[in-house]
Amino acid sequence: MLRRINIDWADLPHDLPLENPFATAERTFPGIDEIDPATFPDFLDEIGLVGMGGSGFPASAKIRACAGAHTLVVNAVECEPGIRIDQSVLLHEAPWVIAGANACAKAVGAKTILIATKGDDRRLGELRDRYPGYGIVPFPARYPAGAEKLIMEKLAGTRPPPGVRAYQLGYLVQNVVSLRAVGRALVDGIPVVERPLSLAMPSARFYKNIIAPVGLSIREVLDAYRLPYDPCIHILAAAGLMMGHEAQPEDPVEKTTTSLVVLPRDAVWRQERPCIRCGACNTACPLGLHPYSLVERSQKGKTASAAFQAQLDECFLCGVCSAVCPSDIPLVQRLVEAKKCP
Amino acid sequence: MPIASPFLRIGCRSSTMAAWTLAALMVPSIIYSILYHSPFAFRLAGYALLGMLAETLYVLVVKRQRRLVCMGSGLTAAILAASVPPSLPFLPMLFAILLAVWIVKLPFTGLPLRLNAAMAGRLFLMLVYPAHVVAWGTSTADVVSCATPQELYRSENFMLAWPELLFGKIDGTWEELFALVPGSPGETFPIVLLLLGGILCWKGILAWRAPLAFLLSFSLATALCGNAPLFNLFSAATVFSAVFIVSDPVSTPMSKSGKVACGFVIGTANALIREFTYYTEAIVYAVLLGNLLAPLFDRIAFELRGRKLLRSKAAR
Repeated sequence: MLRRINIDWADLPHDLPLENPFATAERTFPGIDEIDPATFPDFLDEIGLVGMGGSGFPASAKIRACAGAHTLVVNAVECEPGIRIDQSVLLHEAPWVIAGANACAKAVGAKTILIATKGDDRRLGELRDRYPGYGIVPFPARYPAGAEKLIMEKLAGTRPPPGVRAYQLGYLVQNVVSLRAVGRALVDGIPVVERPLSLAMPSARFYKNIIAPVGLSIREVLDAYRLPYDPCIHILAAAGLMMGHEAQPEDPVEKTTTSLVVLPRDAVWRQERPCIRCGACNTACPLGLHPYSLVERSQKGKTASAAFQAQLDECFLCGVCSAVCPSDIPLVQRLVEAKKCP
Repeated sequence: MPIASPFLRIGCRSSTMAAWTLAALMVPSIIYSILYHSPFAFRLAGYALLGMLAETLYVLVVKRQRRLVCMGSGLTAAILAASVPPSLPFLPMLFAILLAVWIVKLPFTGLPLRLNAAMAGRLFLMLVYPAHVVAWGTSTADVVSCATPQELYRSENFMLAWPELLFGKIDGTWEELFALVPGSPGETFPIVLLLLGGILCWKGILAWRAPLAFLLSFSLATALCGNAPLFNLFSAATVFSAVFIVSDPVSTPMSKSGKVACGFVIGTANALIREFTYYTEAIVYAVLLGNLLAPLFDRIAFELRGRKLLRSKAAR
């Protein structure tokens, strides 16, 4: 016997109005000559641009903070190993990248535009042809060269002190895929609905750089190329092999999904063993920090000292310490936890 | 730990590191066995197996786990066997290996203060069986000079000029020094050992900072004491210690600067003990001293790094 359930707030009228508390202004897609520093950040919000290098930081906030920067840096230093999407975009989508870079430079008032890319002689000549007037700064082809901190170290001569971001030094560092998205919106009027990404499956000798629609499920992407993906023996590594995360086939392609790599499950399985205190993490850390000491102190609760906090703040979680650890200790996950609970 | 980023692995695992070092240690002992027709290589392999067996037993009893291949303890036992005279009887070796593995090595796993287990076992042998440990066999140049020729220099009142300082006092020993200086079996072929050390460093198994700092500071301190640095480098156990003992990743500090400081302390202490005391096997004390200082060096390096970061932040 059914009884009517009475909930006071559920007893609602049928003609509820549809509200939109996050309403924005009329859609404004300016031409390339109508860039206005005042409205440009709103335009970026309009097209839904986030940091496409993997951070997902709202681009409008960055542009606002960077107003008055003297140099725009096109960050195409693909630091994640085994992934080449930034280089592909830089090489093959030059018109859009140029449009986006010019628009951003105009919006913040930057006079010079530099392209930071991996040092590769054959490609540097080609890049000069495609990007006349841009400075090209080659970077070593090693991980992690593409972090903003390390790019600034090369451009400004010294590593920026802890807590100082690139915009405070007068540089606007934008990922090349973000600039491509800006250019796409300016030239073609298409907002950020596509994501260039590397799709790879090493065991099947498959490697492609593709442009995938944002929101498509990963399974559909895999099916489009008939990749023999089996969830029992493979895992999906999204957004890079070093700083990425495991994805499920039902997950959508996001704006920050820089890559999709299908790896055999047993190759990435790790069994943690006690630390042998070899110091491999110390030697490998690109910032010269002491990863295991940080983890050890955070686990023991000795987190009060200023030296500890300074080092923990400096770490940008590149994951090299975990990758080199002979005892397979997940150092970078522990560091993430330590950063979250001070 | 479940699967998490980074999905890549660089370098080798801890057991592989020990296996490579053990393989490197087998090279000079096999050459020794061939040249001197001794079964030493087989003894070394046997002692290594004994060390592995000891760790298997320990793990079975203490942790209730089964682990068959225990490369770390095998390496400890092999280094211990390679650094004592080949004529040492079985029973003292057994005691030393059990002490090194069961008391010094395994219970300290994961703690900040680690001692070099092979050196601790050797210290035990020196204290309990002093007669066996210095029975080096045939009396050749290196045996007469004991671990170092400083004793000879001092008793004979040699006044050494600089060329002699560089090349040592014993005539016509270059080929012997490089190829055939009998001593303990592991430390017999300095050039081969240097080559092996280079290969291991290149493969990323050894950290090069501590051994290099050890060799440099040892040469410097020996020269300052007025002895021949090159002769001291290539005789006795100096190169062997640098490649297999000072480079030990477990008992030296973790930080880069700490490794340099530890190598420096070990090298200087080694030279000073050889020069000013009557102990023959100076390296044992020097290495254990360096190991005791390792946590301190790590702490200092950590604090200094943090302070440097804070300073650059404040300067901004």
